[in-house]
Amino acid sequence: MTTTKGRESRRAQHVRGAQGARVTVRNTLVAYAFMLPFLILLVLYHTWPVFFGTYLAFTRYNIISPPEWVGLANFRTLAADSQFWAGLTNSLKYILVVPVIQLLSIAVAMLVNRPLRGIGLFRTAYYVPVVTSFAVVGLIWTWMYQQDGPVSAVLRFLGLEARGSLLNNPATALYAVMFVTLWKGIGYYMVLYLAGLQAIGRELEEAAVIDGATRWQVFVNVTLPGLRPTILVCSLLSTISAIKVFEEIYVMTQGGPAGSTYTALFFTYSRAFVDFQYGLAAAAGLIIAVISILFGFLNFKLTRGGKVDA
Amino acid sequence: MLKEAVSRQPSVVSPTLSQIKARKRRKDLLWNTLSYTVLVVIGLILLYPFYWTLITSLETTGSIYEAKLLPKGVSLRNYVEVFQGTTVPFWRLIVNSLIICTLGVTLTVTLASLAAYPLAKMRFPGRDLIFYAILVLMVLPNEAGLIVNYITTIKLGLLQQTNPVLDAARQYAAVVLPGVASIVGLFLLRQAYLGVPIELIEAARIDGAKELTIWRRIMLPLALPTIVAFSILEFVAYWNSFLWARIMLPDKNLMPLSAGLLELSGTFSTNSRAVMAGAVITVLPILVIFAFGQRYFMKGIEGAVKG
Repeated sequence: MTTTKGRESRRAQHVRGAQGARVTVRNTLVAYAFMLPFLILLVLYHTWPVFFGTYLAFTRYNIISPPEWVGLANFRTLAADSQFWAGLTNSLKYILVVPVIQLLSIAVAMLVNRPLRGIGLFRTAYYVPVVTSFAVVGLIWTWMYQQDGPVSAVLRFLGLEARGSLLNNPATALYAVMFVTLWKGIGYYMVLYLAGLQAIGRELEEAAVIDGATRWQVFVNVTLPGLRPTILVCSLLSTISAIKVFEEIYVMTQGGPAGSTYTALFFTYSRAFVDFQYGLAAAAGLIIAVISILFGFLNFKLTRGGKVDA
Repeated sequence: MLKEAVSRQPSVVSPTLSQIKARKRRKDLLWNTLSYTVLVVIGLILLYPFYWTLITSLETTGSIYEAKLLPKGVSLRNYVEVFQGTTVPFWRLIVNSLIICTLGVTLTVTLASLAAYPLAKMRFPGRDLIFYAILVLMVLPNEAGLIVNYITTIKLGLLQQTNPVLDAARQYAAVVLPGVASIVGLFLLRQAYLGVPIELIEAARIDGAKELTIWRRIMLPLALPTIVAFSILEFVAYWNSFLWARIMLPDKNLMPLSAGLLELSGTFSTNSRAVMAGAVITVLPILVIFAFGQRYFMKGIEGAVKG
């Protein structure tokens, strides 16, 4: 790649006495020797799956016999499969988590950005759900949701009556799982927004206050535009992980009850590792990949490329 | 700043300076009280489930899923139970997790810190190409990863069963290897290396030091904060991973703790308290690591996002 910037920086390095030794066959071999173990595993477990997975999507494959090219047959099967559509619908519903989690994380980040005594302790505590395994988090919430468990107690306190576990009710199961995603994710996005807020600095906000702006005006006209790059990164990350939600579902509901939490990636998982239809599973995976790319672009558009200046 | 502006012309304003100060103090107090209240409420929502699991795991009687603030009696019986009452011994899961984490963290950090060195400090043909190719890989979605990596693992013969010692070694490798080439780690370390003065490296080269020596004696020590941050991130990731191990491992005896915990919840359906004890034991090392490495941890995350 010979971008202008690359060439310039290389020339600058040359003037400074060359970044690295002279380019010789020996030095090149040394450089590649350093990277070789990394590159081998990178190609094997990251590059190869992209290509082989795409190829598999157009085949029938069960590991035992070699893949058999079937063209678009897998996609036709998927288009006619109501289970796949149900999964896709649930995956798209899951995107509802994104605006909620982003708004709450921004609010929490602004709260922990205040210069209060002991605020570090709160920041640390809020991060605990993030560092805990989905295996543990999923189990804890399965218990929390049990009939007569703490969640029912809270619901009763609010004047709502939950019969049995929210996870066993097809009407509520998906939202119950979404809540866990939200609960686990807030701390993560909070840290990112906190970094964003600290990059903005207080000077601009204070200047706006002196000019007579209200808190709300400062937030809308100074803070929010300054956070735009962070908002892009965070909403991108959370949209893509919402479309690909899997581990929460795997631990808590296994797609049930009555398919109400059956998501697109859960479909892929069961076709591959329960039914051993690897080609069909790969095709479903490819569709999910394309959808996440589309949503990535949409995010990019909505946040105007994350540029600070509107 | 607002305060300064006001104090400059105290005589003109009708309320006295002390009145204004008092009003500001009251307002601050109100805001701070409100902030702390909200902070504590959020903290309760985020931490109570952990606390509830802990106290329930210590109880031996009572209705198990009830909301409560204190345990009804404290006993370690469930903790003994989780070590004794299963077909797969719990200590074995702990040992598996420790082996997987040690192997995973060592390999991941070593390989990334080796590979980042030429990308940051050497000149060779194809450097930019490799760098951009890795960038692209980071963005490319990889839904087929689980499927193709499973196929790769089988084709590599890592799930073959020939003799117990070899089987175990191969299966540990099968769990660890897909995660070892960490693109994020490569970026973090490359960033850290870029800050190392080239003069240091040049001086060492003139003195006839081999590149491997320069890497070990100059790059690694100077990039130590990043290496620590990355190691903590990787430890947490390996300790918490369960899905890949569950999909792939035929031998339940070799499962890591997180994966085995789900196995427990299946076989232990009559005693959820024992599974809760298991969950507490699973979280504990992460909380300890997190408490000690918290600063490095946050740095690692911010670095990972800034790329």
